[in-house]
Amino acid sequence: MTDLALSVEGLSVSFEGDGGRVRVLHDVSMKVERGRVLGVVGESGSGKSTAALAVLGLLDKGAAIDAGKVLVGGRDLYAATDEERRQLRGGKVSLVFQDPFTTLNPAIRVGKQIAEPLMMHRSMDEAQAEAETLRLLAEVGIADPARMAASYPHQLSGGMKQRALIASALGCDPDLLILDEPTTALDVTIEAQILDLLEDLRRTRQLSILFISHNLGVVSRICDDICVLYAGRVVEQGPTDVVLSQPRHPYTKGLLASLPSLSVERQRLQPIPGRLPDTRAQLKGCIFAPRCHFAQPRCSSEIQELHTAQNGTRNRCWRSAELADTPWRAEVGEEVARRAPPSSDAPIIVDAVDVEREFRSGGVFDALTLRWNGWRPEMAYRPRVVNAVDHVSLTIREGEIVGLVGESGSGKTTLGRCMIDLVSPTGGEVRIEGQTLLSASRSRKRTLLRNAQIIFQNPDSSLNPRKTVREIVGRPLAQIGLGGAERDKRVDELLELVRLGSRYAERYPHQMSGGEKQRVGIARALATKPKFIVCDEAVSALDVSVQASILNLLVDLRDEFGLAYLFITHDLSVVSYIADRICVMKNGKLVEQGRTEDILEAPQHPYTAALLAAVPRVNQHRRAAGA
Amino acid sequence: MTGYVIKRMLSIVLTMAVMSILIFWITQVMPGNVAYMILGDFASPEDVATLEKKLGLNDPTYVQYWRWASGMLQGDLGRSLVMDRPIAPVLWDAVSKSAILAGISIGLVALFGIVVGVYAGVRHGSRADHVVSVATYVNIAIPEFLFAIVIIMLFAGYLNWFPATGYSDLSNGVGTWARHLILPVFTLATGLMAHVSRLTRSSMIDTMQTQYVRAARARGLPERLVIRRHALPNALLPTITVLAIDVGIMMGGIVVVETIFSYPGLGRLLMFAIQNMDVPLLQACMIVITFVYAAANLMADLLYALLNPRVRYGRSSSE
Amino acid sequence: MAVAAASNSQARRRPLPASLKVGAALLFSIVVLAALGPSLSPYDLDAMQLDVRLVAPNAQHWLGTDEFGRDVLSRVLNGAQSSLLMGFGATAVSLLFGVPLGLVAGYYRGWADETIMRAVDVMISLPPIILGLLILSVTSPSLWKTVLAVGFVYIPIITRLTRSITLEVTGEEYIQAARARVESGWYILFSEILPNAWAPIIVEAALRVTFAMLLAAALSFLGLGVQPPASDWGLMIAEARPFINQAPWIVCSAGAALCITVIAINLFGDGLREALDPRLSRRR
Repeated sequence: MTDLALSVEGLSVSFEGDGGRVRVLHDVSMKVERGRVLGVVGESGSGKSTAALAVLGLLDKGAAIDAGKVLVGGRDLYAATDEERRQLRGGKVSLVFQDPFTTLNPAIRVGKQIAEPLMMHRSMDEAQAEAETLRLLAEVGIADPARMAASYPHQLSGGMKQRALIASALGCDPDLLILDEPTTALDVTIEAQILDLLEDLRRTRQLSILFISHNLGVVSRICDDICVLYAGRVVEQGPTDVVLSQPRHPYTKGLLASLPSLSVERQRLQPIPGRLPDTRAQLKGCIFAPRCHFAQPRCSSEIQELHTAQNGTRNRCWRSAELADTPWRAEVGEEVARRAPPSSDAPIIVDAVDVEREFRSGGVFDALTLRWNGWRPEMAYRPRVVNAVDHVSLTIREGEIVGLVGESGSGKTTLGRCMIDLVSPTGGEVRIEGQTLLSASRSRKRTLLRNAQIIFQNPDSSLNPRKTVREIVGRPLAQIGLGGAERDKRVDELLELVRLGSRYAERYPHQMSGGEKQRVGIARALATKPKFIVCDEAVSALDVSVQASILNLLVDLRDEFGLAYLFITHDLSVVSYIADRICVMKNGKLVEQGRTEDILEAPQHPYTAALLAAVPRVNQHRRAAGA
Repeated sequence: MTGYVIKRMLSIVLTMAVMSILIFWITQVMPGNVAYMILGDFASPEDVATLEKKLGLNDPTYVQYWRWASGMLQGDLGRSLVMDRPIAPVLWDAVSKSAILAGISIGLVALFGIVVGVYAGVRHGSRADHVVSVATYVNIAIPEFLFAIVIIMLFAGYLNWFPATGYSDLSNGVGTWARHLILPVFTLATGLMAHVSRLTRSSMIDTMQTQYVRAARARGLPERLVIRRHALPNALLPTITVLAIDVGIMMGGIVVVETIFSYPGLGRLLMFAIQNMDVPLLQACMIVITFVYAAANLMADLLYALLNPRVRYGRSSSE
Repeated sequence: MAVAAASNSQARRRPLPASLKVGAALLFSIVVLAALGPSLSPYDLDAMQLDVRLVAPNAQHWLGTDEFGRDVLSRVLNGAQSSLLMGFGATAVSLLFGVPLGLVAGYYRGWADETIMRAVDVMISLPPIILGLLILSVTSPSLWKTVLAVGFVYIPIITRLTRSITLEVTGEEYIQAARARVESGWYILFSEILPNAWAPIIVEAALRVTFAMLLAAALSFLGLGVQPPASDWGLMIAEARPFINQAPWIVCSAGAALCITVIAINLFGDGLREALDPRLSRRR
């Protein structure tokens, strides 16, 4: 027996892609010691999920292990037969997937699915397995295990499903538990509960865990060791506390500098420029060199192997020693002073008064319900009405950034859409610069809404894929009658404004990265020189390094043009960084609003306090012992 | 669930009502004068007028519709103009004969279509899958009427194994009865098998790539259990709907097949009504076909609901 | 940002699928043959030569003759026109009505959607052949009426497809962006949605052509489509049926022509699907 639950040695994996093989993991080595938690962090495209599947031998068809070994409890996974590997899965190694909504089979009762590995690997009979299932469900904090076991997945919430999946993974007392972004699909309060559960479990059960995440806060909370992946390579690894407080690789430094923290102080974020390199290209030197402003000629010609720094962590940078104490600085020029929030007598831009919006779900037939009154059937017409926004009033002044936070289903998106009449309120009214949108004519609305625009969440969906950037940004200009050369000139100006440059004008959306697309979306919103913009989760779909640059851009635009934003997000760190004022929404109601500092330091409403407490922070002291 | 059943019933009643109006209205404008058809081309104008009055042919269309529809509801299907006798017995006889033909065929389609589809879907990309794909591809390109004629030529003409056309009553012996059914059933079933197996295959491939199947593998389940317990119940749900659609396609198919094989069923009766412009008979046939198809769809929906826990148990918010 | 621009030539050109090439080549030759049919055919279409009735294929008559002594090859060549016309004509008819209906239903929802979809439900409550028979039974048959009837039969399918694609596209944020600019419904439907919806619609339409062609052939076969003495494959098969054992070449020639055309269009449609939307290529 060895004291390593998992040892990955020099693993390289490639996929059959459109133009040849694409290598997604390069010479990746990592170890999970018994009873410890290793966090694997990386942004999209880092190969972290592939690593998880490779450890289980569950890679899709078309993927191949080019080199390296995976040793699970000392057994070489890829030297084993298919049958041995199958015995390992679910028995010695269990996996909890990212999305609890698709991981449970919709046609099978939850209890049966949890019992499956018990009967398979621990050769229990049905009755034993059922009893064990109930015990496991109780262990993961389910109040009524019997009811849960008899439920079908669609009857459970996301958090409950994830608990069930964790119970299922624990069933055979695995030597190694792999958690692939286990909380990413969940709301922040549910995430906190699941993380608490995982912390308890690892203590009581001495679990060895491979924890995969893009969220440094989550990783810092739960992991003993950390392994930073970039473009399929390990760039830095070591104990979590040391790596996060004394990062040695420029990428890790950049990642931390891009991360908005949940605090009152507002240091300008320092994003990482550029984007992930094309994985098909053969690079001679350091993979990060093109985006690193510490890069020297040597960096792009020679590959540095992992080596140990003075503080005991390992990294892949030639200059890590000499740059040990140099922080990441992305943007030339000194700290830009942030504008003070607008005074309370600044002109009001948008004014929502007692706005209400209800939705009816289903058609006419779905609203018919049948009841038995004794033996007499009674039909009733009861449309299901959901009050997405419940009598909310909100005033936004010129140059003000109002953060609107809430969990899924809180109605924050609907409120944001009501503010620019994308969704018509069923009660109350919205005024833009004092002019009501209620019963305004079409052309009047068009004129009013030139002052109120929106930026969307998903860069892949917010631009029409069949149009060029010039057409996309030029359309609002064409609407106000601007044509020909004048319009082209203005489009170029707008692209300059969002730091893209006019050479992007002839591109199609699929030729751009997520961050670039988001900039085009901002340029489109700015075209009619609005005074108010709704940012609907505008940075949520982006990686941290890109998110930081978009946040900086939005702040700069506010400072330059006195724009007002309604910044809708589920991410409290982002909102604490950008907003002057924070509004908290729950079940369609505004439960609290106030200046950012006040909300962060002294939340009044218990829900706000719960939200704030739930946010995982980097370098937060871990509650669990054994760090 | 009860509410769901009642809603589906209501919508079918509605569809039948609209369809009956449509059928009645369209067939009203059919060429040919009914009175002349009954009395012959050389009838005197007076006789024609009397008959038209007696049959109510001069009443407003909605009155005529009402008379016809209420008759239908009471089981009175009217009188055939050409055969000059009540439609009901003729029609029910034809329907029962068609039901045998279509019933056997749809059973074979369900059985073989699903088996072949699942097999090809599980072995997606294998040689067996390619063979199945090519076979269904060619099959879909051959229209039923051509297929029927070719197999008549082969099995009845050259090989002389089966009778080319006709129907034999069960009283003439099971063997003869079956020999008459084999070729028409084969024709009907072959065309639809391609349809069912193609869709089952693609549904199976989709299901095999879902996260929950991957999760089942991650639990260490052997592949055959992964397929049987996790993939099949989900993959076969859409097949139920497909089979209901196929009942409809088969209703079209029996028109062609019964015409070619001179099989005395509903399809041939319908063609007879069209060729002889027998309006009441045509209307009755159309209504029966609409009803059978609607009933098949209803059954498929109910079966789907019964097998799908999402519909069966609805959504409860147990947070 | 300079880095981003440099690595950015993602205009991925995948090779055209083989099925698309083969299908297009076959279809092109069929269309050429159909267009040149009348001038290529060795004999006059309706020239009856009673002395050469039901003659097997030979040097004079490559595909033999029929019961009136008409040259089968000439009739098969000319039949291409009517089959293609019915297939493509009927599909054009269903696209012409189905696409706008589907767009309106999917984008506006509400009562427009409800009305259109209930009408569609009624239309599909009769199987295609039966609906075709019902429409054609009340008028005197002709080629154009068959085209219209078959096209009408497939309107619901195109409407449903267009609606479901429209629903999907309408959920995209660029449509929300257009609505935030208070664009007209017309602009959103035809300038924002349609360009993103046409690919799957065209793919479906290509496959619809074969269904239309087969349905039209079946209707002609049943005597309710094209009428004699016109040359049409379905009709030819019907006319030759009584002589199937004496003269199998007539049915075989017309049948083979029909099948090859259908396979060509199916190959073309599947290839198109693969080229336009690789995600969907596996389905069906």
